[in-house]
Amino acid sequence: MADEFDRFLVSALAPRDRDPDRKFVTRVQAHIALEDRLAAQQRALAAGLVKQLLGLFIIAAAVWWLGRAAPVVIWFAESPALALGILLTAFVFLVGILSFPQDRRINS
Amino acid sequence: MAPSNDEDLALSRRAAAGDSAAFAMLVEKHERALRGFLARTFGPDVADDVAQEAFLKAWRAAGQYDGRARYSTWLTRIAWRCRIDALRKERAHPPADDHEAHAAAPSLEVDDMLARLSENERASLVLCEGHGWTHVEAAELLGLPLGTLKSTVARAKTRCRAMWEGAEHG
Repeated sequence: MADEFDRFLVSALAPRDRDPDRKFVTRVQAHIALEDRLAAQQRALAAGLVKQLLGLFIIAAAVWWLGRAAPVVIWFAESPALALGILLTAFVFLVGILSFPQDRRINS
Repeated sequence: MAPSNDEDLALSRRAAAGDSAAFAMLVEKHERALRGFLARTFGPDVADDVAQEAFLKAWRAAGQYDGRARYSTWLTRIAWRCRIDALRKERAHPPADDHEAHAAAPSLEVDDMLARLSENERASLVLCEGHGWTHVEAAELLGLPLGTLKSTVARAKTRCRAMWEGAEHG
């Protein structure tokens, strides 16, 4: 049978009777929202990186393929400095386009 | 399955589908007991941080709650693991006083008693005596054999009784 101590212990250890703590609930919700936003940003960054790497690979492959064409080979042999300069300029220009954030590209 | 589990399971499934309002209802329903347990066991200074982390993990793992255990049991298990992980990290820089903040709690007497118990004794006593957990549930949470858990509760209770009787109630 429960004595005075048992009753004291149960009532002292039971969760306090109170209304839900709205401030705490809001804080948890804010943390969840922040975490979701950060996760979405990370996913977008990762997707952007993959897209950029893919773009760079495609450009490099295209340049390599063009470089193997007979007229280009001849042109390279005749004026290598000019050809290389043009190729590098085109490459830098394309890299610039790819690196520019998509949302800013759309807005501009 | 108990009816309260059904309700929590439905809310948890909605939360798993991204319904943050459903999860807010779960937080609202369970924060009082969870924070109460954590405050009694680890002290009120860490209780809210651990509870918040536990709720974040519960949100991320909402799809894993299957309704077999009570939601509060599942949640407390998450919180307990959060605290164990935090303690592992804290080992390199141990806090000055584990239960310093207990002095500010309203029921000074019971907090004084709890402060003199080990963490497992505190947790098992609070859960089994105050929160209505079964010995099996508490043993599972604390990773103790059932017999050990029962003796831990009994020992904690005996020690508290001695302190209580040794004070003005003797």
